[in-house]
Amino acid sequence: MKSYLLASLAVLLACCFVGTAFAADSGSAETEMLVFPEAYKAMKVSNGGTISGVVKFEGDVPEKKALEITKDEKVCGADEKFDESLVVGEGNALKNTIVYLIDISAGKDFDKKAKPEIDQKGCKFTPHVQIVPVGARLTMLNSDKIMHNVHIFGNNPVNKPQPKTRRKMPLKAVKEAEGPVEVKCDIHGWMSAWIAYVPHPYFAVTNEKGEFTLEDVPAGEYKLGYWHEACGTNSKAPAAVTVEAGGTVTQDFTLKLK
Amino acid sequence: MKKLSLFTICLIILVGSWVFLRFVVGGIISVPIPGSVIAMYMGLIIIAILVHISVEDSLFREFRRPILETLVEDKRRPHRRVLVVLIPLLLLGYTYSIIAQRANPPGSPRDAHPSPPLELTYKNEVIGTMQDVVNPFRHYEKDDPEAFKAHVENGRRVYHQNCFYCHGDDLDGQGHFAPYLQPLPANFQDPGIIPNFQESFFFWRIAKGGPGLPAAGTPWDSAMPIWEDTLTKDEIWDVILFLSDYTGYQFRTFGEAH
Amino acid sequence: MRIRTVALLLTLFGILVVFNFVHAQNAPEASEKGKEVYENSCAHCHGTEGRGDGSAAENLLPKPRDFTRGLYKIRSTGTGELPTDQDLFDIITEGMPGSSMPGWETALSANDRWEVVAYIKTFYDGFKEAEAPPKQINLSGKVPYSEQSVETGKALYTELGCVECHGNIGRGDGTSAPDLTDEWGFQSWPANLTQGWNFRGGSDTEAIFKRFIGGLAGSAMPAFEGDTFPGFGLTAEESNRMLELDNKDEMTAAEEEESGQLYEKYDAAVDIALNLAEGTELSAEEKQIYDDAMKVVYEKSWHLANYVKSLMPEKRPEPAIGNNVLRSQYLQGALPAIDDAAWETFEARYFPLVGQVVIEPRQFNPTLDGVHVKSFYNDTEVAFLFIWDDRTHTTDETDEETGKTVEDALAVQFPVKIPQGPTAPKPYFLGGGRLPVYLWHWKASAPDQVTELTAKGINNAEVQEAQGELQAQGTYTNGQYKLWVKRALKTDDKKDLQLEPGVFVPIAFSAWDGANGDVDTKRVMTSWYTFVLEPVPSSKRFIYPPLIALLSVGFLFGLRAFVLRKNSEEA
Repeated sequence: MKSYLLASLAVLLACCFVGTAFAADSGSAETEMLVFPEAYKAMKVSNGGTISGVVKFEGDVPEKKALEITKDEKVCGADEKFDESLVVGEGNALKNTIVYLIDISAGKDFDKKAKPEIDQKGCKFTPHVQIVPVGARLTMLNSDKIMHNVHIFGNNPVNKPQPKTRRKMPLKAVKEAEGPVEVKCDIHGWMSAWIAYVPHPYFAVTNEKGEFTLEDVPAGEYKLGYWHEACGTNSKAPAAVTVEAGGTVTQDFTLKLK
Repeated sequence: MKKLSLFTICLIILVGSWVFLRFVVGGIISVPIPGSVIAMYMGLIIIAILVHISVEDSLFREFRRPILETLVEDKRRPHRRVLVVLIPLLLLGYTYSIIAQRANPPGSPRDAHPSPPLELTYKNEVIGTMQDVVNPFRHYEKDDPEAFKAHVENGRRVYHQNCFYCHGDDLDGQGHFAPYLQPLPANFQDPGIIPNFQESFFFWRIAKGGPGLPAAGTPWDSAMPIWEDTLTKDEIWDVILFLSDYTGYQFRTFGEAH
Repeated sequence: MRIRTVALLLTLFGILVVFNFVHAQNAPEASEKGKEVYENSCAHCHGTEGRGDGSAAENLLPKPRDFTRGLYKIRSTGTGELPTDQDLFDIITEGMPGSSMPGWETALSANDRWEVVAYIKTFYDGFKEAEAPPKQINLSGKVPYSEQSVETGKALYTELGCVECHGNIGRGDGTSAPDLTDEWGFQSWPANLTQGWNFRGGSDTEAIFKRFIGGLAGSAMPAFEGDTFPGFGLTAEESNRMLELDNKDEMTAAEEEESGQLYEKYDAAVDIALNLAEGTELSAEEKQIYDDAMKVVYEKSWHLANYVKSLMPEKRPEPAIGNNVLRSQYLQGALPAIDDAAWETFEARYFPLVGQVVIEPRQFNPTLDGVHVKSFYNDTEVAFLFIWDDRTHTTDETDEETGKTVEDALAVQFPVKIPQGPTAPKPYFLGGGRLPVYLWHWKASAPDQVTELTAKGINNAEVQEAQGELQAQGTYTNGQYKLWVKRALKTDDKKDLQLEPGVFVPIAFSAWDGANGDVDTKRVMTSWYTFVLEPVPSSKRFIYPPLIALLSVGFLFGLRAFVLRKNSEEA
């Protein structure tokens, strides 16, 4: 009898455990990642609308965290470096937020001339957040005359040294939308950046003033999402915007630390 | 073909027996035989030869004939010259090697399975006499296979969180820490281990570890921890169930079998 | 007739090769049997769902492989490729030295191992979806080992940045070593290239070459293939010239142009390599450029593999047991100082270290491999040289996990009294309570000082009142500690061990790697071994043997004379 009780208790516990594990799993997948449409068709967009806005930070702004430079001080330590996971500017403007359309299925094509790049300068990745179209090559620049090692995590891992003589290092194009994934340098452990491999061009990253703009959006109703390294995403409750042909919609966001 | 002299036959028997003991028995058939054992066998063979040749005068004369010939006859002069150099040289080398030999550390005549105390204890609590204590979960094997399985699985977990570093994934005493421990960790796949002991003996060895061994076990170099400090009583019994379940060996029992 | 025999043999050989190939390449379809074997033998580390999260995983580093990502360190295939079935089978069979993955050759039948291969492939869909078999690394251009090849490899070692992680002479002590993590965020220590016996995939030159070209997927070790080489697409001379120009502070206009042309060629070859990687069909001309470029890359890689091979001894040294015990050599006069060439005249004894897993806190994942020891003594003193590799030089740092102050350290342990006779009770240094031990404790923060302690058990050590009987000096260079200690054979302190030539003394070691969180009982240690002040060989060895030889000559002549006389008497 006792063993039955124990067994049922164990089953109950197991269910709870599996349940929470499952919830945590799906939850983290939703809050951490971008959401991509199942299919996207590129077409010519004429008289599209514009979505713009400002992303602001709410809450006590934590003190800037200086990074500890442990090697190659000459190149890396020339100026003081700060942790870039949360960069708050004047008027609480939040930099490095990705703002994007979650549910667009057809729209303009990528700007073929734009070549996504991340520079490694003074042992820091610039920009800190980069959008890379699926099928395009991301080029890693090395402006420091020292060795770096580009280590990109995620489903399409890259682990590739970039010697001091290698000023430009294009990387193999990624074929599936993913991200954001982190970029690290194994040689300078403090270096960090984020990449999103995206299937359509309606992605923007906020500037110092927290501003973003999405142009040439075909008229219609959309869900507008954001992602921020320290503040998370709104994938569960994205903003709804209605774009009119040739019109401009404004949508601001206020983010808190997650 | 010339008939071999008795002396030569004796010589062949001696050398042949040595080769047989040293390389055939001690190499091909089985593990190397200690030098002292070989010396003993050789002594016996020499005695047998001496007995044989001294039974009859004629045999003895036949035996010593080649020796005498070599010592005095002119036709044997080349042999004599070689021997008069070779014998002293061999003796020289042999005595030198004995005198100049480096001393080696004393061995340790350790009793691998010393007799246990009469009473089985966990921490300071007396469980019963070594002879009578049985694994409290063993009866599930017949009464409640499900519960038994749960105990075995728990034993598996305990084993792999604590024991496999030394005793190995396959319970064969070849864990990744094992090669550099002396004495080597017990090999539970050895048919001479589990079937020869009661579960209470295993409980004692696990609970008290190396430090709990009696003097005959010369505990100074056993790395077996005192597991009663870390594991609960039930965990020890469970791990014992796992040991027999995984290896398929049955612990020795008294009572039921008879 | 002969031709026919040869033909027959060749056919047989061919069949064997084909059979072997077929057999080698194909694991059976995943079956219940594979699942059963996996769950019984593998799941406790790798998890029932192959996520590398079995019950044992928590305490292991390197972590058990997570099979759901298709990232495998030890492959015969190129970067970004899956392993072949044979690769997986070989790892299961042979295990991974330096990790907790054992070889399963004796525990599982070959059939079971193949079933397991088939089963673990089901954890990652990429195996099923793969259209073509993985591309294997071509080993045909092997450059034989030579001093010149090693020299070329050595230059590449610096040029390619290996030093950043593996350190100046390969001891895994590069400046970036402590910061490395793997794809799952766990610590990923760079290999100590002087300890080939800890290489997960073996340490023959081919294995090194494959790890270098293919990378250790999932770990911090990148793949050095194709355009990772500076000057990809250039000949060896051209790439040297390119580097030479790069290193110039100022270039003339002609040099600017030359450099520009070289870079153009370089960029074009990189473009071709990326096209190929992305699946674009190459033209014949492009293919030629690519093949030529890869030929240069592969040749350089063989040089590098030869260099790495040159850094390690052929095999792991024998532990100091049996006749291999630590013997202190007698010297007349002063004992050598730490950097004296006299230490180089003989080989050290090796004491392998294992994690202390007996008393909490325990160390399940040691980073220190072993201590090498040499010793000299004279009529009054004994000197020791302890040498051990440690990737990091840690003195007084705070451990992030425990908040405790950690640092590198070494302890040498002797009994206070030497046990008399083999059955005498011995001191026990864990758990304690039996006979006390005498300890020398050295810490990296005070490298020229050794503290004497008396201990009864691992948590019960007392600093001796009388100190200063020991002289010490410690250094740390290129990932290696050297500690020199000198003491008088006899001291006035009753708590010290007194040393006498010819007496066998138990000796044991403990070591702490601060960067690995070692502190207090969390440490690595050795079993008890034996140490002896090797007595000066007896001068009798020059007297008795000749005497015995002479006597035997005399005996032989005497015997002959005796027999002759007997014969003549009889006659």
